[in-house]
Amino acid sequence: MSTEPEVTTPVQEPAPKKRWLPAVALFFVAVLVLCCGSAAVLARLGRPFVASPFNATPSAAVTDADVSLLRRRAVAAEKEIEKVHPKGVFIVVDTYRNRLQLVENGKVIRTAVCSTGTGIVLKDPRNGKTWIFDTPLGERTVERKVKHPVWAKPDWAFVEEGVIPPKDPNERFDDASLGDYALYIGDGYIIHGTLFKSLLGRRVTHGCIRLGDEDLVFVYKHAPIGTRVYLY
Amino acid sequence: MAGDVPPDPARVAALELEAGLAKRPSVYLVLDPQRRMLEIKARGTILDTIQLAGIEIMSQQPVLRARHPAHPPIPAVWTVKEGPGDTDREVVAPKELRPAPKDDEEDESAEPTPGASPAVPTPTPTPVPMPPPSYRSRLTNGWDLWITDTLPPQSLFGTLVAAVRDGWRRVRGLGEDHVPAVTLAMTDEDARRVHHLMRGGTSILIVSEM
Repeated sequence: MSTEPEVTTPVQEPAPKKRWLPAVALFFVAVLVLCCGSAAVLARLGRPFVASPFNATPSAAVTDADVSLLRRRAVAAEKEIEKVHPKGVFIVVDTYRNRLQLVENGKVIRTAVCSTGTGIVLKDPRNGKTWIFDTPLGERTVERKVKHPVWAKPDWAFVEEGVIPPKDPNERFDDASLGDYALYIGDGYIIHGTLFKSLLGRRVTHGCIRLGDEDLVFVYKHAPIGTRVYLY
Repeated sequence: MAGDVPPDPARVAALELEAGLAKRPSVYLVLDPQRRMLEIKARGTILDTIQLAGIEIMSQQPVLRARHPAHPPIPAVWTVKEGPGDTDREVVAPKELRPAPKDDEEDESAEPTPGASPAVPTPTPTPVPMPPPSYRSRLTNGWDLWITDTLPPQSLFGTLVAAVRDGWRRVRGLGEDHVPAVTLAMTDEDARRVHHLMRGGTSILIVSEM
């Protein structure tokens, strides 16, 4: 008789049931349902932007006129536009890029870096008066040209520095700030030089257009009185 | 308009409208939806052009129940009633004004006046804020003109996300209702370039051949 010891295999205990699994799953499903529900409610409340193509709808001005009448109208309108079209020498100023172009017979003969108005509003603390430092937009005309211009500083030039404007006009004269030449384009706006060359190309002025020395000489020589200036 | 091709009535009407605008000394804009072009003009001369990435009519609509808004008639001249060129301005004001120092009172610490010495000090300019690349202008015809560098997303998912976001804003009392807007999409640089032109009185001629 063999007396081999009885081999007993260890009884494996059954794995504990993961009872928490369904609970976790249920929790996540509940969160998901809650999120989706909330999103659906919010989406229902929201009014997002919807794009639709820009289609032409004929306005009242468009009528079924006969062809010859249309041609006559077109020619007349083109003549009217041609009449006001700038001719000869004119100046174009891009106030965003701070570029001035001198155009002659449709050809740009000079492009210059300039400085234009800041667009800032200055308020006088004494009376609330405001000044807007915009370079004007639209068409202007060179009204006069001056060599060695003298600037009679207006009130804002003092208020900006926190100084009470002087009553004596002699205390307002400044013969250095405008440079050697000035082209007056109306309402106190001037195309002039500057002492601060490093600020050219930036919006730093009170509305005037500043140019560097060489560009100013060129514009002064080539733009006669009456030259149109287009500012945009 | 010359040639044998019969003139387009809409084009002729647009020319007549432009002739009226060109008589005035103001800068005006010409929007050509077909060419996706915005021109800056004065006296009939093109001063600058801007290529548009898109032109759409944007309106706020409940999700999945969108209705297309009416389209503005063209050709027409739209006029800006109020735009960012009027409102987006920085105001500076000294707290108080002091008497101007007399010439003989000026102390040595004061900055030299420009031109007084060969080395002219450069003043520190007041920093000018950069215009935003997305803004709205109110037009006199009741529409809005929206200039933006980024159109709102138009995919189904994007629209849903935008709807949820807007809904959340409304729940917090921050929701805004905008009137339908003709929306011009362009680069951020171009959007900034025309920002200052969007001010009260600016005319925009809408042209199109039909």
